[in-house]
Amino acid sequence: MKTFLIALAAVGFLALLAVLYVVGIYNGLVNAQQGVDAQWAQVQNVYQRRADLIPNLVNTVAGAANFEKSTLTEITEARASVGKVTLDASKAPTDAAQFAEFEQAQGRLSSALSRLLVVSERYPDLKATGNFATLQSQLEGSENRIAVERGRFNDAALTYNAAIKRVPAVFFAAVFGFKEKPYFAATASAQTPPEVKFDFSKAAK
Amino acid sequence: MNPAARQFSRVDLRRWLATAARLGLFGLAVSALVVGIATGLSAADAPLPPAPHAYVNDYAGMIPAERARALETRLAQFERDSSNQLVVAIYPRLPADAALEDFTVRTAQAWGVGGKQRDNGAVLFVFVADRTLRIEVGYGLEGRLTDAICHAIIENELKPRLRAGRPAAAIEAAVNALIAATTGEYQGTGRTRAENNGRTGKRANSDLMFLFWLGLPLLFILLRFRRGYTYGNQNSRRRSRYDDLPWGGGGPWGGGGSSGGGGGFSGGGGSFGGGGASGKW
Repeated sequence: MKTFLIALAAVGFLALLAVLYVVGIYNGLVNAQQGVDAQWAQVQNVYQRRADLIPNLVNTVAGAANFEKSTLTEITEARASVGKVTLDASKAPTDAAQFAEFEQAQGRLSSALSRLLVVSERYPDLKATGNFATLQSQLEGSENRIAVERGRFNDAALTYNAAIKRVPAVFFAAVFGFKEKPYFAATASAQTPPEVKFDFSKAAK
Repeated sequence: MNPAARQFSRVDLRRWLATAARLGLFGLAVSALVVGIATGLSAADAPLPPAPHAYVNDYAGMIPAERARALETRLAQFERDSSNQLVVAIYPRLPADAALEDFTVRTAQAWGVGGKQRDNGAVLFVFVADRTLRIEVGYGLEGRLTDAICHAIIENELKPRLRAGRPAAAIEAAVNALIAATTGEYQGTGRTRAENNGRTGKRANSDLMFLFWLGLPLLFILLRFRRGYTYGNQNSRRRSRYDDLPWGGGGPWGGGGSSGGGGGFSGGGGSFGGGGASGKW
């Protein structure tokens, strides 16, 4: 009888340990997911920052004499298409297609912006205005922030995706509704900001 | 059930329980070791310069020692007054495989310049051979130290003086501008973080604390199993990796960092998001 009780206590204890173990893993997954969501909000934040700069930039550049209108139209359109891809800012998307669409729209805007800055090289009057130099540094800062937050998003998503795929968690991650999060494509621009800057040293030498 | 059989089964159970407990402990030890190695590796795979213990860190011999000391005193006083941490880091060159903005934001983040809550730090990076400048701004100072202002500091304060061959004056002017731009954002406590930490040069490093707490049970478990204390070796191996790097020795002051007036610098865990500006002179 005593033996049976000890065995029962041992089994109960092990069951309790198992429950605590699962709870611990679950909480770990929740933390990892929150990390990805928080980082996603940061990514949205810096993309928004860039989008907010654009009307100002367009106005400044449009003021320059006979600036190439096609570049400006391109930017305005790219910004509009970015606005169309609406994703929940508080929750990182799990739909890879939606994510890709978002990234494509932002990528179009990135390349339109870098083209604008290359084109504006040809307008010394424009470059000389303080307003344009300020905008350019802000734009450069935005691109850099985007690169940083995208990189951190990928780090957070990697931690999370690895967590839901690791052996004990993988058995019940799907049951609790933990889905894999897509990454930003690891383009060169994810590591280093795109070359949207003028080489001031070259101009000054 | 006769007494002998009962005795046997009880011993058996006890043995079984002991084995289970040992297995559990062993599993814990192994997982803790794996986590420890993973943490160590993630810290080692991207070698960054070690955190400085001074506000002005001239590893390239760009500023005369006296003027560096004066700057050091000013920056320590600025932290007492405003709680903002401004750090100057002058390196001979950017590591060969590093991209400027990526390298500087990771370094500033790793050093934890600025407070953890306020993120009110900024670092002025100078890479002499590359003639490259970067002002890295913590999240909490982005409002005052906007990209445009950083750009202006680089263009108007740093570049002309650097081109004129007056590096010390350039750094002094930049520090003045950085102080002017960030004064008033936060209220200081009258003490620097290094002074609050009590010991000069002690850095509040949450990673190290984490490793410490991880290490304690691990040490206990490993000793229990008499498998030897391997964790310390692991740690020192990691540190020795840093010794081979170009930022002068593994010593806390690096090669020729300026000595501190007023207790030295100690980061508070501030975060950086890539704000700031870059330039070449």
